[in-house]
Amino acid sequence: MRDATLFPSVQADAVVVDDFTQGGAHAVAPAAGASAASPAAVPRYYGETLLALARERGHIVALSADLSSSTETDLFRDALPERFINAGIAEANMVGVAGGLARSGMQAWVHTFCVFATRRPYDQVAMQVAYPKADVKIVGFLPGLATILGVSHQAIDDVALMRALPNMTVIEPAGPAQVPAAVRAAADHKGPVYLRLLRASQALPAGTPWMPVRIGEIQPLEAAEGEVLLIASGLMVEVALAAAARLRAQGLGVAVANAHTLKPFDDDFVRAQARQRRLIVTLENHSVIGGLGSAVAEAMAEAGGGARLLRLGVRDRFAQGASMPWLFERHGLTPPAVAEAVGRALAAGDAR
Amino acid sequence: MSAGSVLAEGVPDAGDAAPRPVATGADPRWQAAGRLALPTSELREVARMLRRQVVQLVRRHGQGYVQQGLGAAELFASLYFHEATIDPADPRWSRRDRCILSTAHNSALFHAALALRGMIPEADLAGYVVDGSALEINVSERLGPVVEGTFGSLGQGVSAAAGMALASRLSGEDWRVNVILGDGELEEGQVWEAAMFAGSQKLGNLCVILDLNWMQVEGHTDQVLKLAPIADKWRAFGWQAIEVDGHDLDALVAAFGLARANRAQPTILIATTVPGKGVRALEGVISHNAKLPADLADAALAELEAPHA
Repeated sequence: MRDATLFPSVQADAVVVDDFTQGGAHAVAPAAGASAASPAAVPRYYGETLLALARERGHIVALSADLSSSTETDLFRDALPERFINAGIAEANMVGVAGGLARSGMQAWVHTFCVFATRRPYDQVAMQVAYPKADVKIVGFLPGLATILGVSHQAIDDVALMRALPNMTVIEPAGPAQVPAAVRAAADHKGPVYLRLLRASQALPAGTPWMPVRIGEIQPLEAAEGEVLLIASGLMVEVALAAAARLRAQGLGVAVANAHTLKPFDDDFVRAQARQRRLIVTLENHSVIGGLGSAVAEAMAEAGGGARLLRLGVRDRFAQGASMPWLFERHGLTPPAVAEAVGRALAAGDAR
Repeated sequence: MSAGSVLAEGVPDAGDAAPRPVATGADPRWQAAGRLALPTSELREVARMLRRQVVQLVRRHGQGYVQQGLGAAELFASLYFHEATIDPADPRWSRRDRCILSTAHNSALFHAALALRGMIPEADLAGYVVDGSALEINVSERLGPVVEGTFGSLGQGVSAAAGMALASRLSGEDWRVNVILGDGELEEGQVWEAAMFAGSQKLGNLCVILDLNWMQVEGHTDQVLKLAPIADKWRAFGWQAIEVDGHDLDALVAAFGLARANRAQPTILIATTVPGKGVRALEGVISHNAKLPADLADAALAELEAPHA
């Protein structure tokens, strides 16, 4: 994976597509007459996987809160209309309906943006999904700062909210290459799952291997020896890999791990790593409160001793509507900013 | 489910098919599988027994919603003992009609009805609101599969019911979904989301029974938010709305029949009820959290002793 797949530069001759869900404002379409591939050619990794699963399994139903295209469920809607429900812009009811479907033998997949899947129907998710362990998959798009749509649409607390619910499993795949496995893992897991997804803005390069998912395990990606471990989730995995390359160029030993499951959390992995490393860094496209950084802090604190911790993410503040590169720059979440923060943390540790 | 199971911490084991003692004074036929369709004369006796049990349950530990329980006795009698197809011995039978208690705090009456219908042992009622018991003041599915969902957080019942009704239709099955909804719940926005949804989906297998007692925590509903006109609102959302006297068993039975007959629309039975109905000292008293002193409870039991004429 390269930086470029996350932060593609906007082409001068392109117009922004009227769909803000493909990697923020960076879904670009060629201007009239241009010959570049249309964004419709970008595979819909999520929607295609869900549809394939639904063809295999007759008990899968899909619901969308008027966001079928943005959640890639238009594929499901068009192919299996009898099992697709547009619940309208009414998320509380959608979650309740999904609970009722699940209680009656269906596996219900609900779709909207992350904010509207978590903050808005939180009580309904708690009572109609989590408490009864209903077989409902809550699928949110637009994670964290990955949208130009602004504070109303930026989910910076969804992982915290979902982690706090008993019986809830929380999965955020590292990127398009991990989406199919994440979807299948969620389908195979009987019970509530929150799936936090970012739509791909471009097709994966040919030959990119698919990444597996085993729920509850942190996945070492670059398991190098050394003093620093970067643990990242979602699109920050790619940032972590790029930052690690920079740090290695400076002579540091840096490993990278992918925390695709935020709950149940792989405490054992973190504890073992904390004994071997000098610094553990968490990277998340989310508030540093309640998400990956908190999960790692909790595991490390309960184990006692070992490495220091640096949490990178949104520092307890709301963001704003702006392009994704600008927002990530502003919040210190680009590879150079991460590398710099790691250097500072190591120096501060030396100074203690 | 064994009598001791109410004191267990977890959800009771649904697989335990111990013989269920018939509730005191109950006709064994009232615990049969299927749709009972009891005649009105028997439903009247059921309602009287439910009221007695409500008073006894609330008296025992001084906890429970007595006004709501007394007020809705005919709604529960007509639903469980006339309308709904249930198998007390197999509460998870997939073709059963679902009965959802959105007003989860009306638990004294709910548990009384389950015991009389043979869905929980009458002996379990001793555990009502006892610490650690599965018979909680807000009904939860810790009680086991006889509870279709947990709705203490008001406003959620119709949505879950709509999901179930949709599942019934998707499966090509013919079971129905009934929801007991409180009028105070109409203040929750989600109820109207669900109303719009069920109307749009033309869920003819869904029936809401609105317990219209004009009572909420702070007093008369009109003093909080204006609910009227209720029937017109539901009709505007595509529902069949039927206004009935919630104590008139003939009218309730007929209304359920109209709900069943309409396959193209969900139905709401707007059932006007009187809080405290059946006990002169309590009748019409608007008090959400009414307490029931022992002397008043004893007088109520005496008043509810004789079968109705």
